Amino acid sequence: MTTGPNDLRVTRRFTASPERVFDAWLDPERARRWLFTTPGGEMVRAETDPRVGGSFVFVDRRDGDSGREDIEHVGEYLEIDRPRRLVFTFSVPRYSPHVSRITVDIVPLGDGCELTLTHADVLPEWASRTKDGWTTLLGQLAHALGEVPAAASART
Amino acid sequence: MPTAQPQLDRTLIALADPTRRAILHRLSRGEARVTDVARPFAMSLAAVSKHVRVLERARLVRRRRAGREHLLSLDPKPLDEAAAWLDTQRATWTAHLDALDAMLAAEDRAAAAVAAKTTNTKKRRGPR
Repeated sequence: MTTGPNDLRVTRRFTASPERVFDAWLDPERARRWLFTTPGGEMVRAETDPRVGGSFVFVDRRDGDSGREDIEHVGEYLEIDRPRRLVFTFSVPRYSPHVSRITVDIVPLGDGCELTLTHADVLPEWASRTKDGWTTLLGQLAHALGEVPAAASART
Repeated sequence: MPTAQPQLDRTLIALADPTRRAILHRLSRGEARVTDVARPFAMSLAAVSKHVRVLERARLVRRRRAGREHLLSLDPKPLDEAAAWLDTQRATWTAHLDALDAMLAAEDRAAAAVAAKTTNTKKRRGPR
């Protein structure tokens, strides 16, 4: 899978098997203990319908501007290929109508596995539609701030 | 998970245009008059002024008057905020994966405890 300029990627190794790590995303009783949790938050609702086209909802009760508030995390499963790959849409309607896409790739590594999470379209769509893309954009703003590597400035 | 704030939206909209990025680039070299900023562009002063206003609304550009001149300067703070937002997203996922790792470790400990108990029981039941 190629990484777009508007994608965020995080890699992590686990000593657990690919199957255990994969299932931890879909089994609501296990997912509720870690996924979309926040320090001091309380997972009050965790439901998954683990099939392509099925949806999930995780509600984390946490401290907000006006006391405790319930933050809903919702999405739809697009691809379920146990234990290799999981793809789902993701949004937090309370904060933004923007829908992004998460891809979880798991490959065996020794007795455990390595997980690569790609959060596509992290930024709102119009940002990824720009001709230059987000990476160039960040490069340009670094340039604008004068934080240009020596090699790059030598060219200009 | 925190998401885009209105200020961030304004910053990114302002940056999503090559003319406006070129204006920022020009201002990164220092304060400049509106007419000087407009000169390299094959567009009217009015058109460039429109881009400058978008940058001002996004608080990326400040304007001050010196006599009859309008002087523009760059304010990089909103750019830092945009970069910080991406960092926040990354930190959130890292924290989730830390929590997953902790949960798996807790499961391992629980399984080991059950296994130890079973072994002890077997020992006690062993031949006399």
